[in-house]
Amino acid sequence: MKLWKKLAGMTAAVLLAAMGVSGAAVIYRSALYNQQKTVESCEHQLKSTAYAIGRELENGLLEEYSEPTKNSFINYVVKKYGAEEYILIEDDHEICNLTPYELKNPGDERWNQNESCSVIQRGGDQFILISGKRVPMMGKAEYKLVLVQDISDLYADMREQALFILTVFLGAVLVSMMLVFLATKRLLRPLKKLQQAAGDITNGKLESRANVHTKDEIGLMAADFNKMAERIEDQVTELSLVSEQRRQMLGSLTHELKTPMTSIIGYSDTLLHVNLKKEQQERALWHIKEECSRLERLSSKLMSLMGLYDNDSILMEEVQVAELFDQVARLEEYNLREKKIRLDYSCSMKTRRMDRDLFESLLVNLIDNAAKASEEGSTVFLTAQGDRISVEDQGCGIPKEEIERVTEAFYMVDKARSRKEGGSGLGLALCSMIAQLHGAELSIESQIGRGTKVSVIFREI
Amino acid sequence: MTEILVIEDDSSISELICMNLEAAGYKAIPVMDGLLAEAFLRNKESREVALALVDVMLPGKDGFALMEDLEREKIPVIYLTAKDDVASKVHGLKAGAEDYIVKPFEVLELLVRIEKVLKRTGRSRERIEIRDVVIDLKEHSVTKRGEKVPLKPLEYELLVTLAGSKNVAFSREELLNRIWGCDYMGETRTVDVHIGQLRKKLDFYHVIRTISKTGYRLEDLE
Repeated sequence: MKLWKKLAGMTAAVLLAAMGVSGAAVIYRSALYNQQKTVESCEHQLKSTAYAIGRELENGLLEEYSEPTKNSFINYVVKKYGAEEYILIEDDHEICNLTPYELKNPGDERWNQNESCSVIQRGGDQFILISGKRVPMMGKAEYKLVLVQDISDLYADMREQALFILTVFLGAVLVSMMLVFLATKRLLRPLKKLQQAAGDITNGKLESRANVHTKDEIGLMAADFNKMAERIEDQVTELSLVSEQRRQMLGSLTHELKTPMTSIIGYSDTLLHVNLKKEQQERALWHIKEECSRLERLSSKLMSLMGLYDNDSILMEEVQVAELFDQVARLEEYNLREKKIRLDYSCSMKTRRMDRDLFESLLVNLIDNAAKASEEGSTVFLTAQGDRISVEDQGCGIPKEEIERVTEAFYMVDKARSRKEGGSGLGLALCSMIAQLHGAELSIESQIGRGTKVSVIFREI
Repeated sequence: MTEILVIEDDSSISELICMNLEAAGYKAIPVMDGLLAEAFLRNKESREVALALVDVMLPGKDGFALMEDLEREKIPVIYLTAKDDVASKVHGLKAGAEDYIVKPFEVLELLVRIEKVLKRTGRSRERIEIRDVVIDLKEHSVTKRGEKVPLKPLEYELLVTLAGSKNVAFSREELLNRIWGCDYMGETRTVDVHIGQLRKKLDFYHVIRTISKTGYRLEDLE
């Protein structure tokens, strides 16, 4: 059931219950009051009439009259005090009855008392009030006076009043239901917007937001909802970016695997099926070995790149940068001497928080790259200054339009040359990943023919 | 000797192709770069080239771009590339290549396709010499030390097939398919019988070698 229906229904039920009880109480109370008032006035009237009749009859010396005279005297007295409303009872039979009614039990003891006693009788639509009391008088004879009054009008009035109250009350319930309905509809309008936004997001329209600016709970919820949607949108965008990168990397990887595979399959197929000279056979075997070690290098680089993706293996510690440089220089010594390249390093940085092994491999990679780009006899500079550690060479440089792409996995500026040097196209991708893990950034400046400078810039200091 | 231009930037694959072409009796000319290939094609030497094996992704000038230069020199082209998507194949073939081979490839397949293209473009060899035996492909005749050797048609076909890709092993099934046709239901024994005849008629007992688990190979190294 919709919320507005529930609220309107609930309001109607509560109103009906509350107003029903109070209305009924009011009607009942006023009916009772009216009835009591009527009875009281009747009794009052009865009392005074009874007193007056008593006086008349006392003075009238009734014993001395003959029966008919006595009767007509009594008739006269009763008529004198009341209209056609009184019945006079002597012992237990009516001696004078001016009303259109007849008493069923004239000897009723209730009316033989000094205090008046009233009964309301119902016959069809008619309500009749019967009040009776003893007529107070001296003498032997005992008279009882009974007042009979038709009070149907009173009841009709009461019914009319109750009906009126009921009508007003139902009207009020209806109007308030309408008001509640309109109010909830209005209150719930922002919820509708929220629902629409949620539906849009479910259907893939991630940029959809709930346009709700109320200050109530719905407004707060909408604000939270929008925050959530934003996070989701950001994450989905990021995820699809990452998956696109992975897809490209996988594509390059399969291509990168295909070349050594082609060689290995081709040479082994040749060895199996083709009649080769001895030295050719050796060449083929040498090629197979060479391509296998290329694959080996590729896979270990790839493993370390993958390893960096789940970065719980990183151990951050304070490292003496100068000491690290010495270590890197020792590692590169053989490699550089073979190419007759000098490594010139200077350090004006004391310590820095880093993973020693990872940073070492970053520097080794950068120096290897610099050495590959350099001519024999030139110098590679390794410096640590301010917020950056840089590796600079005087080599061939990187074309301007390629600088942005060199950190992509498998991207090689000069494929043939890179292959010859045993490059896998993963070195700089690895370096930029390591830099990222250190909260640093890889910046590459290069000029064709003049050299390249790769800097690791630490963001926070 | 038939010259084949090998335009391939990966030195290992280039050497692989050249090695096999030479074993099969072709002369291979390796070129490692798109621009070098372009320069070579402007040269007069290129007139002798019967076919070019071209890699698509090349430094300098890519294989598709080289098509123009190769067409000008009327050199039929077989693309040899790692790009195995349909779009690249269609592009290569539409541009006028005779064939498109995806890496990694099998040596025999490469040689067979080269032979087919050479035949189709009318550049196949006219004669094949193996030691003292000369096969005249025009006359359909075989001579040993100047004397004519009478061969049955199927024996001749078998000899031409083996000599066409000499030093390369053929399986019995391969030979059955190529000479008897793929719907031939005979046994591989049939091949053995014909090989026996050839060995006897040409005294090729040490030239046509049985390669265990594979089949036969006609061996002739300089």
